[in-house]
Amino acid sequence: MSNFTTATSTVDLTKIKPYGDTYNDGKVQMSFTLPVPDGEEAQEAARQYAKLMGMDEPSVTHHSDLGIGYTFFVVYGPVHHTVDYTKIRVTKVESHVFDRVECGEWIAKNIGRTITMVGASTGSDAHTVGIDAIMNMKGFHGHFGLERFKNVNAINMGSQVPNEELIAKAIEVNADAILVSQTVTQKDVHIKNLTNMVELCEAEGIRDHMLLLCGGPRISHELAQELGFDAGFGPETYAEHVCSYVMQEIVARGWVNKK
Amino acid sequence: MGFIADIQKKYKTVSIVGMAKNAGKTTALNYLLEEAYDEGLRMGVTSTGRDGETSDLVFETDKPKVYLFEDTIVTVPEQLFGLAETSLEILKRTSCRTALGQVLLCRVARSGYVQIAGPGSIMEHKKLCAQMFEQGIDMIIIDGAIDRKSIADPATSDAIILSTGAVISRRIKNVVEETVHVVSVYKSPLVEDEKLRAILEKEDRDVFRILTIDKDYNVAQVPVRTALGAGPIVNDAIGEDTRFVYIPGAITERILDHISPAKLKQVTIVLPNPTKVFVGATRWQQLRKMGLHVQVLENIEVAAVTVNPFSPHGYSFDRDELLNAVKEALPGLPVVDVRVGGLDL
Repeated sequence: MSNFTTATSTVDLTKIKPYGDTYNDGKVQMSFTLPVPDGEEAQEAARQYAKLMGMDEPSVTHHSDLGIGYTFFVVYGPVHHTVDYTKIRVTKVESHVFDRVECGEWIAKNIGRTITMVGASTGSDAHTVGIDAIMNMKGFHGHFGLERFKNVNAINMGSQVPNEELIAKAIEVNADAILVSQTVTQKDVHIKNLTNMVELCEAEGIRDHMLLLCGGPRISHELAQELGFDAGFGPETYAEHVCSYVMQEIVARGWVNKK
Repeated sequence: MGFIADIQKKYKTVSIVGMAKNAGKTTALNYLLEEAYDEGLRMGVTSTGRDGETSDLVFETDKPKVYLFEDTIVTVPEQLFGLAETSLEILKRTSCRTALGQVLLCRVARSGYVQIAGPGSIMEHKKLCAQMFEQGIDMIIIDGAIDRKSIADPATSDAIILSTGAVISRRIKNVVEETVHVVSVYKSPLVEDEKLRAILEKEDRDVFRILTIDKDYNVAQVPVRTALGAGPIVNDAIGEDTRFVYIPGAITERILDHISPAKLKQVTIVLPNPTKVFVGATRWQQLRKMGLHVQVLENIEVAAVTVNPFSPHGYSFDRDELLNAVKEALPGLPVVDVRVGGLDL
């Protein structure tokens, strides 16, 4: 009697696991640094640490001394945790996304005036990459920025802009939306900075006639919502996402004839 | 008699304002709701952010869920409706929109855990609270998100409960200092000059005009829409006879730094209410010593202070030490550790 049937692995969406070489082998690679000098003890420490994180038989595939008593590790091994994919719900910005040209036409047809957006990378953040990707003419990854959109007046104030200056500018030009970018932050300083932004907008009484948006690699729509923003734009969102949301909100909120 | 019954007699809408994220707002909310249930009070609950999810969206620390008793009126946006762990009866679809969908006004049909969220803006809250009172409730508690203090605006709530805790600093002294700063700013002196009050109360709250008022009550408008970034212009507008400067919006350190020390001493800065102050504890004290006077048209009632000796960042204080330090610094205010309860007034 011979049985040549191989075990068929299928994906059970209620219990998904990482894919390494075969379905459900749970193989994961991770990297971290330990504050100890490189050596066999350090590697064992890394292995034990990975075990505590739920990795069975972890192997240290890379280790390098970072100098003055720190070692960088890459560890590889299977984990047994599963996630129920069918129960996942993510809140997203609910608006139809138009492309750049469609946005310009939509604004002309439904709003009939130029919409103004003021943006900056605020607080201690010196990184302009995020706000430039959304606002600058050349855009990012093949997606042109707001400056190239028809019927959009995009004002990019650059980086390390204090919240107060951004708000002062938005009031001066009577903006429809304020865009706040937070790229690199430490110890969650971006959270404090973002709530400070919302609070200042409330104090200035502009919260009910300007949209307040934030974006960045660590921002999700859900987080933005929790912080009191109208919407949040995370990775893989571009100028057309922002513009589509803003123009449709302007109409939905009856701000077409905003003075 | 419970703590909540005392508060309810005096105030109808109470906001829980956090000094920081994880200061223990939700624990305070649950504690108050439990007391209210014992007292037979019918409550309304809403939030300026989102509340009651199991893990925190910002720091992913464990956070307490919100347990609502039967018959409570609560605001739940469409997308969170399905996540409630109990049954909710939809009373009304409000006109208020959030990114989590339209806000539904619901009645809790059976006690259980519910995720609450409300609009982010203060104006919307005002409208929402009016609709909640139509359902015949005794009192509304608004849960403030993160460290958002604008909900303390007297236009929205009659009083606040301030939640403070170890999360603010690793030193008790700093926790106490920051807490006292917020309470003292909220208790800023009211405008006593009747003539001045009469002038300022005529101002349209939706049209922001920065005004200077001289000794003969002549009013002049400063030609800027906001004082933000316009410190020098405000400074120039203060003349020899100017006695008051009315700023309807925020005042920050950067604005005040542009006002010359002599002028700072000469004038009184008048604000609609204390939520407009965006100056840190240390700088505030320095400015006060330099002669800064601030008066407000409306004050904020602090009904109580709650303390949480634990920080999710992995440290904690001795609970009695923190509780007593805050009590000592804020005489006359009820201070309670919400995990232990046992308020002594």
